[in-house]
Amino acid sequence: MKFDGTDFYAALIHELKNNLGVLSMTLERIPLLGEAEHDASVDSARLLCQNVVDRLHQALLIYKAANQPIHPVLDAYSPHDLVQEIAAGAKALAHGRLHVETSIAGDTPILWFFDRDLVEMALLNAIHNALTHARSTIRIEAEMEAGCLALRVRDDSPGYPEHILESVADGRPYAATGTGLGLQFARLIARSHDNRGRLGELRLGNDSGAVFSLLLP
Amino acid sequence: MSQPPAQDNDAFIDYGALRALVVDDSPGMRNALRLTLSNFGITKIQMVANAAEAIFQIKNRSYDFILCDFNLGVGRDGQQLLEELRHGNLIALETVFMMVTAESYYEKVVATAELAPDDYMIKPFSAELLCSRLTGILLRKRAFRDVYWHFQAQDLEASITACDALIHNKPKYAVDALRFKGELLVALGRFEEAEALYQQVVSMRAIPWARLGLARALHLQKKNEAAEEELRDVLERAPEMVAAYDLLSDVCLEKKDVAAAQEALEKGVAISAKTVRRQQKLGEVAYGNGDLDTARTAFDNVLEKGRHSIFVTPADFGNLCRVQLEQGDLEAVADTLKKNKSTLQANPEGQLVMAVTQSIAHTRTGNLSEAAKALDVVAGLRADGTRGDAQLMLDLAGACMANGRHEEADAVVAEVARNAHDSEALLAKAKRLYDEAGRTDAGASVLASATGDVRKLNNEGVVLAQRGDYKTAVEKLLTACSEAPYNPRILMNAVWVILKYIDQVGMDETMIETARTQLREAERQAPGHPRLAGLRLQMKDVETRFGIQRKAVR
Ligand SMILES: Nc1ncnc2c1ncn2[C@@H]1O[C@H](COP(=O)(O)OP(=O)(O)O)[C@@H](O)[C@H]1O
Repeated sequence: MKFDGTDFYAALIHELKNNLGVLSMTLERIPLLGEAEHDASVDSARLLCQNVVDRLHQALLIYKAANQPIHPVLDAYSPHDLVQEIAAGAKALAHGRLHVETSIAGDTPILWFFDRDLVEMALLNAIHNALTHARSTIRIEAEMEAGCLALRVRDDSPGYPEHILESVADGRPYAATGTGLGLQFARLIARSHDNRGRLGELRLGNDSGAVFSLLLP
Repeated sequence: MSQPPAQDNDAFIDYGALRALVVDDSPGMRNALRLTLSNFGITKIQMVANAAEAIFQIKNRSYDFILCDFNLGVGRDGQQLLEELRHGNLIALETVFMMVTAESYYEKVVATAELAPDDYMIKPFSAELLCSRLTGILLRKRAFRDVYWHFQAQDLEASITACDALIHNKPKYAVDALRFKGELLVALGRFEEAEALYQQVVSMRAIPWARLGLARALHLQKKNEAAEEELRDVLERAPEMVAAYDLLSDVCLEKKDVAAAQEALEKGVAISAKTVRRQQKLGEVAYGNGDLDTARTAFDNVLEKGRHSIFVTPADFGNLCRVQLEQGDLEAVADTLKKNKSTLQANPEGQLVMAVTQSIAHTRTGNLSEAAKALDVVAGLRADGTRGDAQLMLDLAGACMANGRHEEADAVVAEVARNAHDSEALLAKAKRLYDEAGRTDAGASVLASATGDVRKLNNEGVVLAQRGDYKTAVEKLLTACSEAPYNPRILMNAVWVILKYIDQVGMDETMIETARTQLREAERQAPGHPRLAGLRLQMKDVETRFGIQRKAVR
C-alpha cells in the first residue's frame, strides 16, 4: 500500500477534531455542584478545552496563511446577531464567574459586510484573553467609528502591557506569556478586510481595562 | 389563485416540534451531537452514519433540520449528499441543511460552491453557537416563507414580488432576498434585469457571489468579454472560488478558446477534485483538445471519486474506455471493463457501453469473430430501444464499418445526425469516420439525407408558424420529432408551436401533454439551454390561463 502523507494528515486532523469535539461536549455536560473546588476545576477544564479548540482553528488557519494571504469570503451579516452570538459563547465559558454584557450603539447598521468566521475567530481570541485577565466584567460592543463597523471586547483587567500596545500599533512581533499569536492573528484578519483600498484595523487600548477593537471598513 | 399560509411573525421557535437528522460516521460524535441538540430542546432526532442512510430517511419523512458532517468516511461526502438532495428535490427550501466541517479550508470551498449549505459549523463547536446559528436561519426561512411558497408552486413572478417585499420591508434580509431574486431572474431568462440587480449589490460591496452572478448574467447575454474580465478579477481576489472556474470555462468555450477553458477547469479541479461534474467536463474539454492524458486522468477521477454519486452514468465508462482505446492501451480497457463489470451489466445502457467497447477492442486485436459477437449483442440491445450518447454511437458506427457492417453503420450515423442535425462537431466526426473508411461519398449522402429531412421539416414548421398556420406547423414538427426524438432544437420548436397553437384555438389536453413530454426530453438532452427557461415560462402561462378558464366554465 502506498502511504499518502496528505491524506494521512487530513485523516489525523479529522480524528483529533472529532475527539476534541466529543471531549468538549462531555465537559459541557458535567454538572456544577455548587461546591467550590469541584466547580472551579470543571470550569477551568472547560475553558482550557475551548482554548485548545480555538487555538487549533487558529493554528490551521495560520498554517495556511503562511503560504498565501488570507482571503476573506465576504457576505452580509448582522452585527447584532454577531454580538449576541459572541456573548452567548462568552457566557457559556464564563459560567457565571464573570458578567458578560453587550451594548449595540444606535448607529450600528442592520447589515455589514465581512467574513464571519474570521471575525468570530479574532473576537473569540479576545474573549479568551479577557476571561483570563478580567476581574469581574466583559463587555462586547458594536458601534460605527469613522465609517467602519467597530466590534469591541472590553474588560476590567489591569489593561494591556505597554509593550504589547506599542508592538501591535506598529505591527511588530511581541513577547507574550502564551504563544503571542492571537493578537497578531487578529491584526492580520482585520487588515485582510479591504473596502475599495480602505483596510480594516486592530486597535488596542486601555480604558478602565483592556479594550480590543476590530475596525471593519 | 391560492395564497400561501398566513405569516407567523412570532420570533418564537418551538424546538420541541423540530424534526432533526444527524449524519455523522463517528458514533461518538453522533451521540455528542444528539446531546448538544437536546440541550436546546430538540428531541425528535434521527441519527444515521452515511449518505445512503440519510437519503433513505429523507425519502421516508421530511426533516426540518439536517446536521451533516462533511467527512463521512467511505462513500459519499456531505457535499455530495447535499448535491443529491437538492438535485433530486428531496429537501424543501424550508429545510435547514448545516454542514459540519473539520477544516476551515473545506468551509471556504463549500461556502463558495454553487450548491452551498445554509450554513456550516467548524468543528468542534459549542451548543450555544449551533443554537444561535440555527435560530438565525430558521427565522430567515420564516421571513422567506412567501418567497419559497410561490417558488415551489412554480409561480416565479409572485416569488419575485415576495422578494421585493422583503427587500423593502425587512432590511435585515434585504441582501438575502436580492440574492434569491437574482436567481429567479436568471431562471426566467431575464438576464438584463439580473445583471442590473447584481450590479446593484456589487456597488454596495463586491461580495463574491454577487460578482459571480454578474458574470453569469453577462455570459447569458453573450457578453463574454465582460464576463471573463469580471471572473478573472474575482479569482484574483478569491482564488478558492471554484464556481468561478466552472463559469469561466463556459465563457471560454463559447469564445472558442478551448485551451483557456481547459486551464480553468484544471484549476477548479486542483482546488476541489471531488465534484464529479467538474471532472466530467474537464475530461470532455481535454478530450476535445486532444490532450488524452488529462482526459484520461479526469475520466478516471469521475469513476473513482464518483463511485457513489448519482451523477455518474454509463457514458462515463464509455468516455474513459474511448480515451484508453485511442491511447492504444488495450490492457487498461480490459481492466476498466472487468473492474466495473457488475455496474455495467446492471442496465441496458451499461451493457451497450460494454459491448461497443469490446467490439472496438476486438477489432483492434484482429479478433474479428469476437468483435462480430459483440456487435450482435449491440444490435440486440438497439433493437430493444437502447441507445447511448452520440459519441458512443459514433464509436459504434466506426466499429461496424471496420467489420464491414456498412448498413448498420449508416443507420447508426443517420440516427445520430437526425438527433444532432445542427451539431457541427458531431457531424464532422461522423464525416471523418466515412473518410477513414474510404466511403466519403456514401457518408455525404447518409448525412445529407438524415439532416436534410429533419432540417426541412423543422424549417417548414417554423415558416408555417411565422405565417400563423400553427395547425400545420404542429403537424410538421411532430413528424420531425418522431424522426429525431432526441434532437433538442426540434423538441423545443415543437413545444413552442404547440403552445402557440393552443394560444390560438384554445386548450387541447393531448397537445399540452405532448408538449410537456417534449420539454422534459429537451431538458434531458440539453440541460441549461438558454431557450428552456422561456419555454417553461410560456408553458406555465398557458397552463394557468387555460386552467382558470376551465374552472370558470364549470
Ligand atoms: N484582556 C487582556 N488584558 C490584559 N492583558 C492582555 C489581555 N489580552 C491580552 N493580553 C496580553 O497580551 C499578550 C498577547 O496576547 P495574545 O496575542 O492573545 O497571545 P497569548 O494569549 O497567547 O499570550 C498576552 O500574553 C497578555 O499579556
